[in-house]
Amino acid sequence: MSVPVDTAVSPPAPEPTASGGRSAAAAGAWTERWGDRLNPLVVKEVRQGLRTRVFWVCFGLMLLACLMVALIAYVDTRESANARHGQGYFFAFFVCLGLAHFFVIPYSAYRSLAREREDETWVLLVLTGLGPRRILRGKVASFLVQASLYASAVGPFLLFSYFLNGIALPTILVVLGLGGAWLVFVTVAGVCAATLADGRLGRAFVHFAVLAMLGLGLLQALGASYAMTELGDRMLRESEFLYLVGAALVLMLLDGWLLFEAAASRLALPTEDYTRGPRRAVGVQVAIAMLLGLAVWWFEGRSHSVAELFGLLGGAHLIVVGMFVVSDVDGQARAQRAVSQPWSLLRPGALRGFRWMALLLTAWGLFFWGLECLSANPPLRHLPLRMATLAMPTYGVLFLSLAVGLGRRVRQDRLATPVAVRVSFVASVALASALPPLAAVLTGFDGDDPIINLFNPLVGLVNFSSYDYSAGGPKMALELLYFVVGVALLAAFATDRMLAERERRAHAS
Amino acid sequence: MSLLEVKGLRRDYGALRAVDDVSFSLEAGSILGFIGPNGAGKSTTLRILATLDVPTSGEVLLDGHSLVDTPDRARPLIGYMPDRYGTYDDVTVFEFLDFFARAYGLKGAARRQRVESVMGFTGLTPLASRLTTALSKGMRQRVALGRTLLHDPRLLLLDEPADGLDPRARIELRELLRALADQGKAVIISSHILTELAEICDTCAIIEQGRLLATGKVEDLLQQQEAGAVVTPELTVRLAPGEAGEAVWARAERLLLEQPRVTQVAREGESLRVRLELEAGTGPAQADAAAAVLLAALVGAGLPVCAFSARERNLEDAFMTVTKGRVA
Repeated sequence: MSVPVDTAVSPPAPEPTASGGRSAAAAGAWTERWGDRLNPLVVKEVRQGLRTRVFWVCFGLMLLACLMVALIAYVDTRESANARHGQGYFFAFFVCLGLAHFFVIPYSAYRSLAREREDETWVLLVLTGLGPRRILRGKVASFLVQASLYASAVGPFLLFSYFLNGIALPTILVVLGLGGAWLVFVTVAGVCAATLADGRLGRAFVHFAVLAMLGLGLLQALGASYAMTELGDRMLRESEFLYLVGAALVLMLLDGWLLFEAAASRLALPTEDYTRGPRRAVGVQVAIAMLLGLAVWWFEGRSHSVAELFGLLGGAHLIVVGMFVVSDVDGQARAQRAVSQPWSLLRPGALRGFRWMALLLTAWGLFFWGLECLSANPPLRHLPLRMATLAMPTYGVLFLSLAVGLGRRVRQDRLATPVAVRVSFVASVALASALPPLAAVLTGFDGDDPIINLFNPLVGLVNFSSYDYSAGGPKMALELLYFVVGVALLAAFATDRMLAERERRAHAS
Repeated sequence: MSLLEVKGLRRDYGALRAVDDVSFSLEAGSILGFIGPNGAGKSTTLRILATLDVPTSGEVLLDGHSLVDTPDRARPLIGYMPDRYGTYDDVTVFEFLDFFARAYGLKGAARRQRVESVMGFTGLTPLASRLTTALSKGMRQRVALGRTLLHDPRLLLLDEPADGLDPRARIELRELLRALADQGKAVIISSHILTELAEICDTCAIIEQGRLLATGKVEDLLQQQEAGAVVTPELTVRLAPGEAGEAVWARAERLLLEQPRVTQVAREGESLRVRLELEAGTGPAQADAAAAVLLAALVGAGLPVCAFSARERNLEDAFMTVTKGRVA
């Protein structure tokens, strides 16, 4: 009991003399060296995962189902050698794998991290110096290792379906490739969801939301794979399909990365540079999206539709991401202050987050507005869509400024918390969308009156993108857009000054 | 120079001040008991010392490294055991410790050696292949303690380590902590079990509403309290059971209540509990003299006194005197 902890390292074991012993020792040393290089989380989670009942029950059931489907396929096809049943049986095997890959694995990953936080083992991991990103990488990788075990069991059956005729190898590879990408994405999303709530009620809500989202995601993935197996080779010859696949892969890659960084940021200690990862990911995402937009726009003959599509969809995506970026707390920990400069927009603090998002939204709006201006022969009726491309990020800046400012104008710090800022953003957007049309109708105007709805992020955007055929021009004057831009800039400036003052006060205390 | 120095530590959560101007220092090889009612700020202080939280103001230096400015340098010197032990399901004791040893960056033979050494120290070697879920609470707590020792920290922060342990496990924990202090590690224990702390700690710090009310050696704390407050020693009087009927017990009670300084007499089974109230500044010698007067009165009245003892003041008395049960 009272033996002191011996910190000295024992001398290395003596070299075995026999050649067989030497080779065994070398193999052991090699295995140990590789084991040491592995992320510790992978070793622990795989050990743990393979002992759980969930794994063995799911694995057994999946194998049994595949075996039964294979037997049915054998009976079904043994009479006619020319039968082409491959498509159906491939999909049947894929469903067996999909249930494990698209539901069981991401859900287990979610539960694993959620339990880590509930049991407070998370802080013990963080104190080891592993760092949240390495820990999350280990979590995701360990569940992908488990997924590969499921895949190795179903692999021979999928290959068997190829020999049943009726499905081409490229189709199989595309479905499996996209399935793999979807697996990685939903596993990362599951891990990210586990970091969302701290309270018991919030956790329960997130749990149900994750179950619902995974259920829907499973149906969507299986639906898409069914459509692809049905279409077969034909889909590979369609350029739209290739664009769609490319867009899906880029979205999964970039959003998966962003979700991963956001999760790592939420799990980091306040003394760490916890915002660098997600803010850098948003920045890179915007840069890549701009480059992709530019490339597609160029190869499609400088089509204005491409700029409009990218501008509007990307702008909406950026606003949603911005809601999370701007809702940081005021100020920085002392350890961060020493290394922060006024232009260090990736470092922690609400002020820097707000400036970063305002900058990205402005850059986004101006870039695609510029592309639309440079488009080849855009028709006049597309002018409103060009205005909407600029109006979208403008509304984003305006309402993000409002949400950040509202909570911080009140003395109660409770309204300046990250959750309160997000709630206030959603509430202000909802109120600004619903109240002006109501007021317009009650005062005898049209529900979509352009002036009353000027600051309505929904109706206002629709108005800016509408073409008035009776007047032969855009529904909204360009001057009105400039006015909204001016108001948004003023709101952003006021919020920036207020955040700077709050940061100064936070640091002074 | 002290291993740990805490200066003017403050932590605000909005309008709530959880820790208010806490300062103390700790030498290597000593054990500090952190005492306070629920919500007093003990866990918050420990979390700040573990670099899991950031103080609103103040400074903490561990072996010269600031926990606020350079937490990464100080972290390897800290072993933190939260009030929940934090063990995993479906892993064995060895695997659990091996995992954390890997996480701390120990490799190959050094890792194995360290895990085995820690298991030996905490008495877990025979349980190495047992799943952590199959262990008793006391054993799980040992596993958690073993985890905090893997990287050979210089400061151990233990949040309620004895909570829920049976008496045997508590005694074993006490021995383990004493052995660690003998190896030169500084230990901070937050606990509600004051008798445990009094036996194990060299110094105590009493915290309430986030403020440090008293700090120092246990004996010094007791003397400080006795010097500045009204002293209320308790005496236990037992009468010979064969000779004392109900009438004798009643006569003894009456007699005691008539004596000066006696404020309370209560019958507890086969004994009487007598409470005295002495003036502020009364020393142990005067308290003994007052007790002797009582004993003389009882014997002089011909009562069959077979036992007469004074209960010594302990950490609980000091704690009750200093704190008022307020929550921050």
